[in-house]
Amino acid sequence: MERERQKQKAEALLGRVLELGQKMLPGAELLAAVNSGRSANTRFACSEITSTGDVEEVQLRLHAYFGRRHASTEGNQTDDAGLRALIQRVGQLGRIAPEDPEHVPLLSPQRYAAVTGAYDEATARLGAKERAAAIASTIAQGDEQKLQVAGFYQHRSGLSALGSSSGLRAFHPSTEAQFTTTARTPDGSGSGWAGAVASHSGELDPAALARVAIDKAVRSRRPQRLEAGRYTVILEPAAVAELLGFLLRALEARTADEGRSFFSRPGGGNRIGDKLAGEGITLVSDPTDPATPGTPFGEDGLPLRRRVFLDKGVVSSLWYSRYWAQKQGKEATGRPGVAQLLGGQASEADLLRGVKRGVLITRFWYTRWLDPQSILITGLTRDGVFLIEDGQVTAPVNNFRFNESPVNMLKNADALTARTVRTPGFGPLMRVPALRTHDFLLASVSDAV
Amino acid sequence: MNLTRRQFLYTGALALTALDQVGRERLGQARGLLTDPLLDELVGRALAAAKKAGASYADIRVVRRRYESIATREDRIRAVELNESYGLGIRVIAGGAWGFAASSQVQAAEAERIAVRAVEIAQANAQVNTQLKRRPVVLTPDPPQVDVWQTPLQKDPFKIPLEDKAELLLSINREATKVPGVKFCTAQITVIGEWKLFASTDGAYLEQSVTRLGPGYSATAVNAQTGEFESRSHELPPMQAGWEYVEQAPLLKDARRIGEEAVQKLSAPSVDAGPRDLILSPSNLYLTIHESIGHPTELDRALGYEANFAGTSYATPDKLGKLRLTAPELSVYADKTTPGGLASCGYDDDGVKTQRWDLVRDGVFVGYQTTREQAGWIGETSSRGTSYAEDYKSFPFQRMPNVSLQPGKKELSLEDLIAATDDGIYVSGAGSWSIDHQRYNFQFGGQMFYEIKKGRVQRALRDVAYQANSVQFWNACDLVGGARSWQLHGSLNDGKGEPSQSNAVSHGCPPARFRKINILNTNARRRA
Repeated sequence: MERERQKQKAEALLGRVLELGQKMLPGAELLAAVNSGRSANTRFACSEITSTGDVEEVQLRLHAYFGRRHASTEGNQTDDAGLRALIQRVGQLGRIAPEDPEHVPLLSPQRYAAVTGAYDEATARLGAKERAAAIASTIAQGDEQKLQVAGFYQHRSGLSALGSSSGLRAFHPSTEAQFTTTARTPDGSGSGWAGAVASHSGELDPAALARVAIDKAVRSRRPQRLEAGRYTVILEPAAVAELLGFLLRALEARTADEGRSFFSRPGGGNRIGDKLAGEGITLVSDPTDPATPGTPFGEDGLPLRRRVFLDKGVVSSLWYSRYWAQKQGKEATGRPGVAQLLGGQASEADLLRGVKRGVLITRFWYTRWLDPQSILITGLTRDGVFLIEDGQVTAPVNNFRFNESPVNMLKNADALTARTVRTPGFGPLMRVPALRTHDFLLASVSDAV
Repeated sequence: MNLTRRQFLYTGALALTALDQVGRERLGQARGLLTDPLLDELVGRALAAAKKAGASYADIRVVRRRYESIATREDRIRAVELNESYGLGIRVIAGGAWGFAASSQVQAAEAERIAVRAVEIAQANAQVNTQLKRRPVVLTPDPPQVDVWQTPLQKDPFKIPLEDKAELLLSINREATKVPGVKFCTAQITVIGEWKLFASTDGAYLEQSVTRLGPGYSATAVNAQTGEFESRSHELPPMQAGWEYVEQAPLLKDARRIGEEAVQKLSAPSVDAGPRDLILSPSNLYLTIHESIGHPTELDRALGYEANFAGTSYATPDKLGKLRLTAPELSVYADKTTPGGLASCGYDDDGVKTQRWDLVRDGVFVGYQTTREQAGWIGETSSRGTSYAEDYKSFPFQRMPNVSLQPGKKELSLEDLIAATDDGIYVSGAGSWSIDHQRYNFQFGGQMFYEIKKGRVQRALRDVAYQANSVQFWNACDLVGGARSWQLHGSLNDGKGEPSQSNAVSHGCPPARFRKINILNTNARRRA
């Protein structure tokens, strides 16, 4: 089994680097992190396979603590010569680094919750032929409709592991497969996207995703002009996750307590207890939930457990590092590595019902901070924007730039789908529903298709 | 250049003896950077293995990437780290399709195994492309080069003692936080070293070493009563340079001013939205050039090869030579040889010698960024030399060279531009930035904003962003500074591709004025 092989290799590597490290750096506390595995991908564009990659790698990160002085170093050469060079380097850096008043000692051995559903042998065995076959079928579907298709099929299998001179040991094997595709009309007047990510490649259905992207491309041809303004919008999961990601990044207790975050309370303190949104809004992070299988430990070995950040619309907690928790007399939670916005009661069709005039949005692009004080974000729509009139999708419309906050998105949401999905993208693993929200500022028109 | 070396690479391991006869000493002098003669054997065996397995072309990159970072906040060190990755990546063409595989084990036997894997992947891809009757990959016949290149520098930043770097950063934080109202200051220095050996079955053999520096800091002022806060970052750009660049920069000298400006922003009036004349400093305009001209003139993007992620472009090939992209007085050029430019180097990752050429000449869109694979797509016979891979495990593809705006013919200064403006806003430094996936609609912020009335700077403003259509914006430019006001700025992190790769790139420009640009107020709390 690939998983066992990876674990044995990581265990041996952790043991060896700590053994060598304690010999070479007597008196130092050491924390080592191993990320190992294989990732491979194939890209396609203009309805042909373009580029590709396949790499197997072991990355070793070593932190050394000399009292309050510390440093870290990372390398990928794991033979004894490579390990010695790494240890020597971190020793040199750590001894001369200035003292850190925020240093907290390494954790003693911890117990970690079991995570199910994070690893799949079949996904670990995927290869170039399987990727090429899925892509060939997508290209063939595009050819039938005279559309150009582009996309990306990537999978990885790997292990995250931690070990320390204080006795910490932690292992988390995982796999992931991701398929995204964009279909475009040759005249450039229509574009559609679909994508999915799963821990088990068997849950990915590239052919079905291709059908969705192609259908959207066909239906989005020759968009009507719709003016900028505030609209009721239905956001598909990819759009919800993109915007929600900025709220997640603001959930740190320290910046809130320091007065430089949306979650800062004017006059001092933070906004735990404030009601931000309606009863239907609950945001949790739970790496042990098979729906969001994540690493059950943080970079420092702190166990990551289920945390509720928004409970029925109320800010119920923020995340605390070990240092900040100690200083504030709170429980250390660690930074959340996964997030789930719980689903509601609606079906996709229910979201449309009752919308007199609104806009259906497939996904966002180039989202950036505008104002951290209100988590105001700018970005653009792309690859499928449609007008909704009297509960029906009636026409494709132009793309927009939005200037809006995920806080408003949640505050003004009145319907969430029961179905939630994992969304491909950067940052933490996220699972979200589609939702309907109101008064959403589509600030200017974009001529892009 | 060196026929013996080319022959060696063509014939692989058999020519190893020939290499020995040439004499390592001579090669060492020629290459200058030579670190490990064993790599010669590895390179030869890898390319021979790729050929034997069926590759019609193969190249290999052995890359060592070093990343040193020291990050501080106020009176403490947040992180001291030195990360290194080392490995080899082999790219092949077999059956007319690309294959690529990489490994962190830099050994000859492993390189042979990886070469075979790359060919197998290419063959799997070729089967699809052949079945569907897609065109095969064809490379332009750019001449193979044998050479060395390295960043011109006086002081290797990796050799500067850590204590000196930390003390500089902590001194900056001390100075900035002396300003009443400044509660936080973060300062950091990033040093990136990229050593690369490239060889191809065409006979290229190149060794390059690039050193990039990214110093910077940001002060934050907080009004605890109102809950408001504002940050101000120093505008010193990252640069391809030695440590002398940091020594000569006014980082510490400016710390108090940067702190004072953070406080000034906190109490500055919020901007009134509406069309205004806009003067952009080079520290802001560089990013606008990057997004609205740099990316649109990438040929792969314009033809749809980035459609699933980075997007396509308004600058399609049918507009080449026709599109009035900017005002007629302006010209924009690409240049991978700009001294100090973050994207500058001797040869690209196809092994092509780097160069300078026009993208926009006298206002008209005239050129694209290309690689050996792409140049033929638009009928060009040689590559512009813009192929780049972030590290050993990344597939090389088209990446942006330094793209710069030429200075105006008249020697105008920033002060001249301000004096000529009746009602406008001057923006300095980079803030928020975003542009659509075909590069039409952009919206940018900045670091500092000043109101201009009747040719004079009146007061600082806050909450400013400008939004426009790229082509309309560039055609609204009516004044640019002269050569003496031209500055090089840049970014260490430009993303493109799947999996996303980072590219460092610089943009030079003078300050410039744009007429009647849409100014937004970004303060949503006003409405709430």
